[in-house]
Amino acid sequence: MFELSAEDLNLSAEQKEVLAMIREFARREVRPAVKEYEPGDRYPHPLVDRMKELGLFGLTIPEEYGGAGLDHVTYALVFEELSAAWMSIAGVLGTHSIMAYVIARYGTEEQKQRFLPRMAAGELRGGLALTEPEAGSDVASIRTRARREGDAYVLNGVKTFITNSRHGTGLLVLAKTDPGAPKPSRGMSAFVFEHSGEVPGFTVRRDIPKLGYKGLDTCEIAFEDVRVPAENLVGGVEGEGFKQVMSGLEVGRINVAARAVGVARAALDDALRYSQQRVAFGKPIGRHQAIQQLLADAYAQIEAARQLVLFAARKKDRGERADLEAGAAKLFASEMCGRVTLDMMRVLGGYGYTTDFDLERYYRDAPLMIIGEGTNEIQRMVIANRLLEKYAL
Amino acid sequence: MVIGPFDLNALEVAVRLKERYGAQVTALTLGSGKAKDALRRALAMGADAAVLVDDGQMAPKEPSVATRALAAAVRKLGGLDLVLCGRQSGEWDFGQVGALLAEELGMPFVPFVPRLEASGDGWRLEREVEGGLLVVDVSGPCVASITNATDNQPRLPKVKDIMMANRKPIQVWGPVELGLGEEDVGEAANRLEVLELFIPEVKSECEFVEGDDGAAKGAALARKLWDRKVI
Ligand SMILES: Cc1cc2nc3c(=O)[nH]c(=O)nc-3n(C[C@H](O)[C@H](O)[C@H](O)COP(=O)(O)OP(=O)(O)OC[C@H]3O[C@@H](n4cnc5c(N)ncnc54)[C@H](O)[C@@H]3O)c2cc1C
Repeated sequence: MFELSAEDLNLSAEQKEVLAMIREFARREVRPAVKEYEPGDRYPHPLVDRMKELGLFGLTIPEEYGGAGLDHVTYALVFEELSAAWMSIAGVLGTHSIMAYVIARYGTEEQKQRFLPRMAAGELRGGLALTEPEAGSDVASIRTRARREGDAYVLNGVKTFITNSRHGTGLLVLAKTDPGAPKPSRGMSAFVFEHSGEVPGFTVRRDIPKLGYKGLDTCEIAFEDVRVPAENLVGGVEGEGFKQVMSGLEVGRINVAARAVGVARAALDDALRYSQQRVAFGKPIGRHQAIQQLLADAYAQIEAARQLVLFAARKKDRGERADLEAGAAKLFASEMCGRVTLDMMRVLGGYGYTTDFDLERYYRDAPLMIIGEGTNEIQRMVIANRLLEKYAL
Repeated sequence: MVIGPFDLNALEVAVRLKERYGAQVTALTLGSGKAKDALRRALAMGADAAVLVDDGQMAPKEPSVATRALAAAVRKLGGLDLVLCGRQSGEWDFGQVGALLAEELGMPFVPFVPRLEASGDGWRLEREVEGGLLVVDVSGPCVASITNATDNQPRLPKVKDIMMANRKPIQVWGPVELGLGEEDVGEAANRLEVLELFIPEVKSECEFVEGDDGAAKGAALARKLWDRKVI
């Protein structure tokens, strides 16, 4: 019901068609499958296969490497659409697309040719392995070590909260190549690690049970003397990993913000429908002012968040630095999503709290956008530091 | 601009035939420049070429006029083995184009077809009829109107095919290219006018038949039915 209108966004024919296809996919295939996989926390293999077929894994991968080479505006809108149906499905593509972005931007020509076409086909489905048990927000203090031994790097360490690490077939792993570097961020490197078959020393140790984001694998993984070919060091030069990954997170923040818009939009959509059907004190509850306040505030906040997302995406598409804008979009959209999902639950009353309706799922999924891809506290630090730098006296 | 629901089924059937036997599928539509969006979707779904019959200089207000323009385009394309269209449009639901097209082209027409396959030098088509299916064989080319079925659900186009579709040319033909004049497709060619569109009101009333006992009630009921000419 409450969908974004392609006309208002001034989209090209191509963008409109892609979005129309995604919307149909969400309506025809994703929505009906949620109840099958979400409650039991089961991985939606058939949907992932369909996403491969439709070419969603190659959305932003350049065309010369087998992708569709789409812009970040389309990227954001696709994430919004998918998340409005089921946020977890967007998660299958989320860190995969960040990994692809990092390779496309910083990889050597040989690496792009070796990895990107398979990533676009969804054969190499990636993820991002940064977080460790002792290092979350403070990425620079990771302990995973990569030691050069002949033609390989030997990886040792534990990563946790790694999405797509069980069912995916590859990861971008951040590790220390020079633990003694005076600036810790300069001592890190990023590696493309493939694990489509058994890899000696690599184990998926545990699936982390979680409040929402169900159906998707978020795991603790371990590397014990895992050999990664030296030619998998992104860009071929040590010490660049932190910078590469942080730049990837700029794209990640656009995608997380877009997901927040999608989830909030779905919540408002359900509340709009419900408020016209449910009658209390002689009229549809949507005619009661208290409910109207909730609906109006939700709408205004969702549209505002979407504009921030598109603002950041457009900046990125122009090739400009967009960390400030992506951070602001992520911060605002995720906080908005937390508020809106709770407010829309109020509109649905007791029914919103039951698993008979989708609202409780939106409500459970919302906090991840606040915490993931850099917590909002960290987001505020990044934004403020950037402001002070940009507008320094 | 979207493709009518049954036209999507027709397109799906065409693309499946192409996948099975190898063929060249051309999507043809009549409309304004906006209809190019619909043709792009057709290309993304697997059509090899697309033709827009631009109605800017025509007045196709009724199916017979629209069909005249479409038939001219089909003739211009030439060498066809099969012409598929939706069972009816998504707007006026006249459901006439298929039959009229067959007449214009001098081909046999098979309506309400959920599926078909090659047979001999022609086609074997299933046709939906009241309560069942009828199977017919046609030698040579024919026109079929496609109805929806579980096995002809329109596929979703792939992202890359959408991108390619936007780069393929769309042929645009007007009355000049099609050799059509004012008398064929102009204002004067239309003789059918829709006067009114309404939903008929369905009334029902309930009446209790009075009477002292069953026999009296029965007689009273019979009288009422007699009066209303039911019996
Ligand atoms: C479902 C899920 C999926 C995830 N997927 C991935 C993935 O695929 N790959 C990956 O690498 N990671 C992933 N993560 C990890 C996620 O990025 C981290 O959880 C997040 O960065 C926060 O790290 P932390 O949990 O260690 O919290 P901590 O860093 O321990 O932070 C705890 C609290 O302290 C606050 N805090 C920390 N430092 C400061 C400071 N300097 N100033 C003010 N406040 C501060 C934080 O904001 C937070 O509120 C995922 C997490 C979840 C929950």
